[in-house]
Amino acid sequence: MSAVDDPTAGHPAPGSEPDGSGLPVEAAPIDAETAAAVRAAAPRPDRFRPAAAGWIGRGVVWAALAWVVLCLPGNIASPVSLSATEARGASEAVVFAIIGLSLNVLIGYAGQISLGHQAFVGIGAFTSAFVVTELGQEFWLGVIVAALVGALQALLLGGVALRVTGLYFALITLSYGVMVQQSLFNVESLTGGVAGRDAPLPTGVSSAYGYYYVCLGLLALVLWLDWRLTRTKAGRALLAVRENPRVAATLGIDIRGYTVLAFMVSGFFAGIGGALFAHRDGFVVAEPFTFQLALIFIIMTVVGGLRSRSGVVLGSAFFALMGDGILLKLLRLEGFFENVVKLPSEFVPLVLGPLLLLLTLTLYPGGIGQQVAPVRGWLLGGRFDRHAGAVKEVQVTDVRA
Amino acid sequence: MVLGVSFVDQLSTALVIGVITGGVYALVALGLVLVYKASGVFNFAQAEFGTVAVYAAYAALEFAGLPYGIALLVGVSAGVAMGLATERLIIRPLFDAPRVTLLVATAGVALLVIGVQFWRANDPALRVLAPISNELERVRVFGISVSDQRIVILLVLAATAAGLALFFRSPGGLAVLAASQEPTAAELVGVSVRRVSSLTWGVAALLGSLAGLLSAPISNFSPGFLTAGASGALIPGFTGAVIGGMTSMPGAVVGGLLVGIVESLGGLNALEGIPGARSLLVFASLLVVLLVRPQGLLGRAAA
Amino acid sequence: MSVLEVHDLSIRFGGVQALADVNLAAGEWEIVGIIGPNGAGKTTLFNCITGFYSPTSGRVRFRGEDITELPVHVRAGRGIGRTFQNVGLVKGSSAVENLLTAQHLAASYGAVAGIAGSPRTFDDERALRHRAHTLLELLGLADLGDAAVADLPYGVLKRLEIATVLASDPDLLLLDEPGSGMGPEEAHALGDTLLELRRTFGLTIVMIDHHVPLVTRVSDYMYCLNFGAVLAEGPPEVVRAHPDVVAAYLGDAAEAV
Repeated sequence: MSAVDDPTAGHPAPGSEPDGSGLPVEAAPIDAETAAAVRAAAPRPDRFRPAAAGWIGRGVVWAALAWVVLCLPGNIASPVSLSATEARGASEAVVFAIIGLSLNVLIGYAGQISLGHQAFVGIGAFTSAFVVTELGQEFWLGVIVAALVGALQALLLGGVALRVTGLYFALITLSYGVMVQQSLFNVESLTGGVAGRDAPLPTGVSSAYGYYYVCLGLLALVLWLDWRLTRTKAGRALLAVRENPRVAATLGIDIRGYTVLAFMVSGFFAGIGGALFAHRDGFVVAEPFTFQLALIFIIMTVVGGLRSRSGVVLGSAFFALMGDGILLKLLRLEGFFENVVKLPSEFVPLVLGPLLLLLTLTLYPGGIGQQVAPVRGWLLGGRFDRHAGAVKEVQVTDVRA
Repeated sequence: MVLGVSFVDQLSTALVIGVITGGVYALVALGLVLVYKASGVFNFAQAEFGTVAVYAAYAALEFAGLPYGIALLVGVSAGVAMGLATERLIIRPLFDAPRVTLLVATAGVALLVIGVQFWRANDPALRVLAPISNELERVRVFGISVSDQRIVILLVLAATAAGLALFFRSPGGLAVLAASQEPTAAELVGVSVRRVSSLTWGVAALLGSLAGLLSAPISNFSPGFLTAGASGALIPGFTGAVIGGMTSMPGAVVGGLLVGIVESLGGLNALEGIPGARSLLVFASLLVVLLVRPQGLLGRAAA
Repeated sequence: MSVLEVHDLSIRFGGVQALADVNLAAGEWEIVGIIGPNGAGKTTLFNCITGFYSPTSGRVRFRGEDITELPVHVRAGRGIGRTFQNVGLVKGSSAVENLLTAQHLAASYGAVAGIAGSPRTFDDERALRHRAHTLLELLGLADLGDAAVADLPYGVLKRLEIATVLASDPDLLLLDEPGSGMGPEEAHALGDTLLELRRTFGLTIVMIDHHVPLVTRVSDYMYCLNFGAVLAEGPPEVVRAHPDVVAAYLGDAAEAV
């Protein structure tokens, strides 16, 4: 511990100092002009407080949101009755949200692109199914092992692949994803080959409705971890590395170490998402884990809005529900796409997704996160600020790790 | 039948097949290197220029009933048009964006094209484009017959490589190099960076179209067939470009052919028990090159 | 024992000899000034000391330990902090967040514990935040609080950068043109601040600046670099009056204190 731990303590003055009093330092005052500029830049101290009506309005919206998330998919206190398929769709929305948050850690925080995330999710799914059916363990252990395998995978791949710049890292992950898809997923003893592997619902959970709440609980866990990541030293280190790697290094931040750590957190989340993916359907096969799926994952994250938790969750859920056809059914657009445009609903994300991505990249960089930022600020008791969350460009820095 | 084939025979088969598939990879790699040199972008839509060309040519041939040569021209035009559109609509607005953002954008373009192909042409999913010549036995190398179509691939590769080499010694080619290395200075001496950018993407799309049109008839094709899947050429193409150093044209040709050979070694009987041995070998060679010799075999700049 | 010793340091970029056999030393609690015309290799020297460049030949020692081969962040962990000519701050964050980032090594919890959200990390974060505010107050920046760094004027940024580096708890502080963009009066005030900081934190400071009067006033020892080589060294007044220095540098830049 050195003097700086208690800056007011003062340090014994070296002999050369004329004034040996050891009093706390009194910095030279800044001039009036500068002080004014500083005050102008600082946020206003007078905080906005909504009126009673404002609070009631916010309360109503909060209650509605809570109802949609907590009650509707489980048919609790709900005028409409969702089918089991629709409840599974809701679960998928939650699972996609977890996968989106996983990519957000990597792309948004670490500034690296993984084009092979389908492999991470797929390996998570097969791992959990293997632990439950082959080893006869509980679902929860399957999820934990899947998450740890995801982190380990990221450590191994990242330890090697993060020695090169962002573009080459993306290329390696692309090749890795296809390799896993064509090679590992066809190893019969691990994945059950073409037939796939059983992945039953957790014990104690009897229906698709119950499973939704399992997914929701794990999403809450992922959100918690993500929140703490951004609020502690790892998150700040990643921000510094992304914005100014040279400064980060001179502050003692190990650039490659933290990039690998972010990749591991991303792999951990992806493992959880994969496990939930497997047990939702009761079985898991390799077929859905393709390169196209990896691109959909990236698209939903970027369209959701990098570094905006609420945006990423909404964006991912949107793409999940669109892929299921549930969203189109809700919006009564199913017939339009099937009959008028002749676009089968399974391909809607494949066509609309990239369009939304390209629009986000070129014209609307904040994504959905920017859309919801004003609402979010209002819900948290602030003014409705239309310009909240405005973003100038989709920032993904090309960091040399 | 396979049991009777000796190891040497397998090896020579792998070599011949490898060089030919490698020819397609080399065409893709050339396009990737060209765009990377000019725009600093990893173009994940490169292979999709090829599939667009293939679907356009197929439509011209089967639905419009045009002659084969015209159909190929229609295909090439469609591929080039897509390349120019990508440059104008996506790359140019994002000119100052980080390179990784551009990478996501080109991947988005690729997925959009794949999506549209699924939408418009998924019934039937597998289609066949007629080859330039149906002759399968005219040429034999190491006792293996090589179809005319495969010979054409290698001839076209040789012609394009020579054409590009000549181009980069011409004033136009030097302007491209100048614009990519010193955009501001190039503008000052009268080189239009925008036109150069369009030109590069156009040529790259042409290369992609050729790769698609020449390789599609060898087997059947389906939406996105050149990007991912069994006949995917994007990842081997990238690997070839990286082996060549990402900025070297001769390197891209050599790298593409090498990847073709390495990949076809996955067909050896010794590796029969390993699923996906081919993609495993491609992944391994990419990793090894990037770690051991990141500047590639012929490249100068470090990765 | 010297805090920093640079032995026969040379570095070439292609055909350009950016530094040629530079020797430099800074003792405990010393302030060492480096002056020299633009392109003399001053910042290159800093980049060799902090580890951005690896020298073609020569050694860098910190408290007797040879650190020439260590990566940047490890050197920072040994106690070397620096500022940048063009302000090294995380522009997207607030002033306090920058100081929190700078306390990366001071945070006593592990990165994984932070992500998991262990209760101790909440206490530690509160302590870090408190220390950040104390440091801002100390440098007369208490008003800054949560202002976004991007909106602040240049002079304030320079001062904030010093606060940030101090938060990283260095033993040796390398300042790259702390007085750039300041008028004579502000530069004088900066000199006072530096002297006080040295006393409060027990710092050794090596500073590059073009404000010759400022450097002369605060330095215990001064070097003048020109064309990558040490042109003159010694007590500030001696270096300042050195005929070669006057010829190379001060001829056009001399001004009254």
